[in-house]
Amino acid sequence: MKLLIVDDSALIRSRVARILNDPRLSAIQLLGMAKDGKEAVALCRQHAPDLVTMDITMPNMDGVVCTEEIIEIHPHCNILVVSALSDKATALKALKKGARGFLYKPFSDEELIAAFLELIKP
Amino acid sequence: MNDINEEDIHVFIDAVSHFFFHVTKEKVEIKTAYLLESDVPSATFDMTSYITLSGSFSGRIYFSTPRSMINHLLLMMGEEVRNKERLLDAVGEIANTISGNARKHFGETMEVSVPTSKETKSDWLKTVVSPHAYIILVKWKQYRASVVVDIQRATQQ
Repeated sequence: MKLLIVDDSALIRSRVARILNDPRLSAIQLLGMAKDGKEAVALCRQHAPDLVTMDITMPNMDGVVCTEEIIEIHPHCNILVVSALSDKATALKALKKGARGFLYKPFSDEELIAAFLELIKP
Repeated sequence: MNDINEEDIHVFIDAVSHFFFHVTKEKVEIKTAYLLESDVPSATFDMTSYITLSGSFSGRIYFSTPRSMINHLLLMMGEEVRNKERLLDAVGEIANTISGNARKHFGETMEVSVPTSKETKSDWLKTVVSPHAYIILVKWKQYRASVVVDIQRATQQ
């Protein structure tokens, strides 16, 4: 399964990529990284990621709009929102646009691994 | 007029405490005061990031930290790249996380910007914040950092 990491923080992009080294996530390969929603949509038009980790607060295009656009291009894409925005309304909005899961920042390695495993389970 | 009350400030104290405990598994010491009170030590450290609020609130939330503290935090997180850009990025991510977590209490109408991060010199914060800004002083290990809450509720139309 191919993963696209979308976050305006280089620290978070690097951390998510590093967590992929966990043997439990061997089924996931890193397809690419995007630092905002526009870059993510452009990458999704060229490639077809199976999984996306999606920040919400980003410049140019936020994660909710980006989720909606990616789902229009690839309706079966599994999008995991990873955001510090802890209000229920934002999570519900993202889920309504097609996201399959929501993980709040700050997150531990184990929490992200569990979220990935939940998304990729058959 | 700043109408932020004690309960509001506790939302940010909880967010700061939660962040540090989640990352370090250690409790931090917290102290609060008005920023411009004369006995409050300088709140500005080497690197500062701020989030600008809109919607039901206006103003900014600042996180300021010594370079050594953010470097130590990244080391604990297993981050190998710890150059200036990455340190500033991390400071911004902490400001973003604290502000974003506060929306659990304030709701989605408290709109948050992306972080702006910069290197700062002593007393910079005192030159940019309002007289009623609150400071949350954080002590972790030998380090001190600050969260400055300089916000007010937007006037209802």
